[in-house]
Amino acid sequence: MNCLEFRRELLIDPQSIAADLQRHARECPRCAEAQARALAFEASLQTALAVPAPAQLAESILLRHATEQQRSRQRVRRGGAVLGLAAAVALAFGIGMRLQAQPLAEISVAHLQREAFVLSMTKPVAEAQIRKAFADLGVKDVGALPPDVSFVACCPVGRYSSVHLLMPRSNGPVTVLYLTDDHAEARREFVRDGWLGRSVPLAHGTLVLLAHDASQFDQIESQWRGALQNAT
Amino acid sequence: MSGKQRQFDALVRSLSGDLFRYGYWLCGDEALAHDLVQETFLRAWRALDNLRETAAAKSWLITILRREHARLYERKTPQFADVDEVDVIDERDAHMPEFAGEENVIRNAIRQLDAKYRDPLLLQVLGGFSCEEIARELKITPAAVMTQVFRARQKLKAMLGGEIREAQIHELS
Repeated sequence: MNCLEFRRELLIDPQSIAADLQRHARECPRCAEAQARALAFEASLQTALAVPAPAQLAESILLRHATEQQRSRQRVRRGGAVLGLAAAVALAFGIGMRLQAQPLAEISVAHLQREAFVLSMTKPVAEAQIRKAFADLGVKDVGALPPDVSFVACCPVGRYSSVHLLMPRSNGPVTVLYLTDDHAEARREFVRDGWLGRSVPLAHGTLVLLAHDASQFDQIESQWRGALQNAT
Repeated sequence: MSGKQRQFDALVRSLSGDLFRYGYWLCGDEALAHDLVQETFLRAWRALDNLRETAAAKSWLITILRREHARLYERKTPQFADVDEVDVIDERDAHMPEFAGEENVIRNAIRQLDAKYRDPLLLQVLGGFSCEEIARELKITPAAVMTQVFRARQKLKAMLGGEIREAQIHELS
């Protein structure tokens, strides 16, 4: 390899570790200097190209994927009857993923993380205990409760009062917060600190679901809708 | 969680950033790049059984992303001009890193490259493709790829007042 070939190769592939390239660099000080400059330029180029990726990009992709999977299963079960609706929801969901820092999401996840010890609880709590928690916050006429709640407490979440519940599932526990003095305007999906979330206006409050796996959200939302839709 | 799901999660967590950066430079728009990366991974999930070597995942995903880009956005005009930067950086300043920041100067120079030079350079620098792989991806000859990445670097260095000048190259010939 001569100097011309070496300089050409530096502009074609500066990172090349070809043996004849390295041999020439060892033998020719001028070309070795040129190689050092080329590698420095390449490092600058790589730094400039490394534009920052959006925060929680991976989480938003995984959530979108989980939702699509879930919707796909539902479509199969329903024989394709809700195909158009699911696509519209999935599209809205994808767009909504860019809205990541909703205050409700932030305070809910912050509360979950403060009380992370709850997540390991699996022993069922008595139904009377759950009803008492809702009654303590003034929620009356609660209907049939889901059978598998392993934790319940009345907790302040940000500036709201809430009933904090946990529902163990085979693919990880789902945290349920019912904010009694907040009424969200619309349902919303979100990702926060690695947690997948959903907030839903329900009766006079807002139901918030949090988990690492959102596949159970529909079923759990349906259970709590049954329990709380006629609550006063 | 299934093995396929675990593999998918690992790919998303390890490569979504790289895919976003490549997508950004391909389409010139952050929001479009975000959508492109999402669509790429959703399509990749459906074809994940075709991925035989994990080491080849990045180039495989970039190929999917390029197809998605062609399918969804090729008719849109790239929005590479950043209004704020155009407003504040004049021709003289573009060569003076102390005025605009070295990274921004280089980014502006990359934006000014013709697509035929920028595309193979991005595949090489961001994608880690060899010249032969770039040739297959762009459906041109390896010799054409070498010429284009050679000229891409020459043009960038000329725009940036680089140290390697064409004169030096000619001097050696």
